[in-house]
Amino acid sequence: MKSQYFAGVDIGSTMTKVVIMNEVVLASVIGPTGPEHRKLANQVMEEALTKARLAFEEITYVVATGYGRINVPFADKQITEISCHARGVAHLLPEVRTVIDVGGQDSKGIKLKDGRAVDFVMNDKCAAGTGRFLEVTAEELGVSLDDMGRLSLEAENKVEISSTCTVFAAQEVVAKLSEGAALADIIAGLHEAIAIRIYGMVRRLKIEREVALTGGGAKNIGLVKALEAKLGFPVLVPPEPLLTGAIGAALLGKDIVKEAEKKGETLVRSERRLTEASIFT
Amino acid sequence: MTEEKKPEERKKRRTATEAASKIGPMVRASIGGTVQAREEGKPLAYTFICCCYDEIIRAMDVVPVWTENYAGVCGAKRDAQRFLERAESENFSRSLCTYALCGLGFDAWREELGEMPPESPWGGQARPDMMLGSGQLLCDPRNKWYQAAQHYMPDVPIYDVGLPWPAYENDYDYREVQDYYVKYIVEELKGLVKFLEKHTGKKMDWERLSELVELTDRTWDLIWEAYELRRAVPTPMGTGDAMNTMVPMVFMMGTQEAYDYYKDLYDELKVKIANKEGVIPDEKYRLIWGGGLPSWFALTDFNYFNSKGAVFPVETTYRMIEATYNFDMDLSKITDPLEHIAWRWVKFWTYWHDRARKRPGSHPDVERLIKYIEDYKIDGIVMHEAFSCRSWHVGLIWQLNLLKKVYRDIPSLILESDIVDISSYNEADTRARIDAFIDTLEAVKSR
Repeated sequence: MKSQYFAGVDIGSTMTKVVIMNEVVLASVIGPTGPEHRKLANQVMEEALTKARLAFEEITYVVATGYGRINVPFADKQITEISCHARGVAHLLPEVRTVIDVGGQDSKGIKLKDGRAVDFVMNDKCAAGTGRFLEVTAEELGVSLDDMGRLSLEAENKVEISSTCTVFAAQEVVAKLSEGAALADIIAGLHEAIAIRIYGMVRRLKIEREVALTGGGAKNIGLVKALEAKLGFPVLVPPEPLLTGAIGAALLGKDIVKEAEKKGETLVRSERRLTEASIFT
Repeated sequence: MTEEKKPEERKKRRTATEAASKIGPMVRASIGGTVQAREEGKPLAYTFICCCYDEIIRAMDVVPVWTENYAGVCGAKRDAQRFLERAESENFSRSLCTYALCGLGFDAWREELGEMPPESPWGGQARPDMMLGSGQLLCDPRNKWYQAAQHYMPDVPIYDVGLPWPAYENDYDYREVQDYYVKYIVEELKGLVKFLEKHTGKKMDWERLSELVELTDRTWDLIWEAYELRRAVPTPMGTGDAMNTMVPMVFMMGTQEAYDYYKDLYDELKVKIANKEGVIPDEKYRLIWGGGLPSWFALTDFNYFNSKGAVFPVETTYRMIEATYNFDMDLSKITDPLEHIAWRWVKFWTYWHDRARKRPGSHPDVERLIKYIEDYKIDGIVMHEAFSCRSWHVGLIWQLNLLKKVYRDIPSLILESDIVDISSYNEADTRARIDAFIDTLEAVKSR
């Protein structure tokens, strides 16, 4: 029987992620979404295909997810990021019951049951509680975003950041600096502020262990520790937390194909080829 | 100047019923009618919905100007921002009730100009001769709004009807004190009648009032019967339409027109059910709108739900009636019209108390949800947290959690926005949430 390959394309507000897999992940690419790149999901896909040494025609099914999922003209199906994250995490960490995803411009909590999302909460209206909060404040502090997590762990006397608004928090940071507060202490305070926001939101779901942390936020050790402190127990982090949505998308594509085969149905695939989105042109 | 900007009107929402499609023109005519009544010298009063005084003002020929309705119309026409901004510039906080802010902004502007603000939606909100507050349900604007409006109209008198909201305690029966509630309400209403007599120079026609009270009872019963028809699968009418069909219920009670409207609705739903004509042809998910006023500028979200196979056969919002024959007393035996109104009020707000007492840890609002979930075969619950309305919205999450605790887990979606303030709304994000919710409904259904 001919090999089957499945692709998941996750276009987030900040990063675009593509995964190609059969039984395992064969190739993955993570690149910035950016305003110019938004319409170029095909280029990221081509890069992943090159890595996997496959032609687009060899891909059995493509599922797009994330905020930009409608901008993937070559996808066979669009599925919400809630379902894709749930499927991805259930595959990677089957013991997980609650997912906390901290993305560039939103954060969400997902409750899992039997590997599927049965409840969720989202913060998509305010930058506080998202990666954007740290991005803005890192800029204000003149610290690279990648260093923020590590530096927060060096804090000796954490500073309380009272503003929940990202813009005001950035101003507060400047004020704290001028008062002589240590950089690490301020950064630790920022991590605690974002953890409080996320925890407050996810608590609505009645958090059940185990808890997985995904998205860009999971790559920040300071945030992981701050959230663990709020939760009162350790969280699990997948090997590449940015890819769970794309992996879930690929797996859901595989589920769709397998289900159709089981029923003896012929899947009608998208006729559109690997082209860029025209919505922005 | 921002005030002068007038946004484009949105295209009309699709309705499932003829009855719902009639509402727009009815409301427009009603608002136009108040402007005309002002010109003709008829007495006009600012009024609140669920006020307990519908029949009284109708019997006194006082023309109601429903201020919440006008703010909702401005919101639905996406033309509220200039009035909200005006209120803000008058130093009212943007976090107050946006119905009140919209109304206050409008009043401030109209009073300053001495005429309606330019291009006021549907002719504008007519200047009143009196303002009738109606404080209950912990909603402070129902007392404070008109007091604030008086800053701009110091010559317009206010009568504030105080109405009790019988509290629920699981170890106490409200019947122990119900006579006191009724006595209190009757006194408040007597005061209102005196106030109206003084300011209209007209005597109350008690016989006419009794007739209108009886008509209102019949209208309540008819609405209940019509809405219960929506239990049918597929449901012939959804909450999107109910946000229209509530208009006669809350703005025209005590009129023959309201009764006739619901007779037409009842007949229309009967025909639809006989023809198996649903809101959508392929009904996959049945949802309850479990609380929260809608975003009046985003009613097309109901159509979006429909496009995903979801329908709303029932809602708690704006179902402000029960069948009076289901009360634990024979209301028809209360012949004094003011007492009759008072008893109807008390029995409506305590209707779910007994059911709650039977289920440990439950609450009347939760029992109502449970009953509807069962009667209408509901798969999921949607609530709307409108940031500016504390009284209706502050307990929604608590209700949802309690529902899941005392009854069962059920997929739920909390939408976040406002009733009037469109700056709180993001269509793409709202629809992303709806998409995700549909996924969870499917996941739960296929388990």
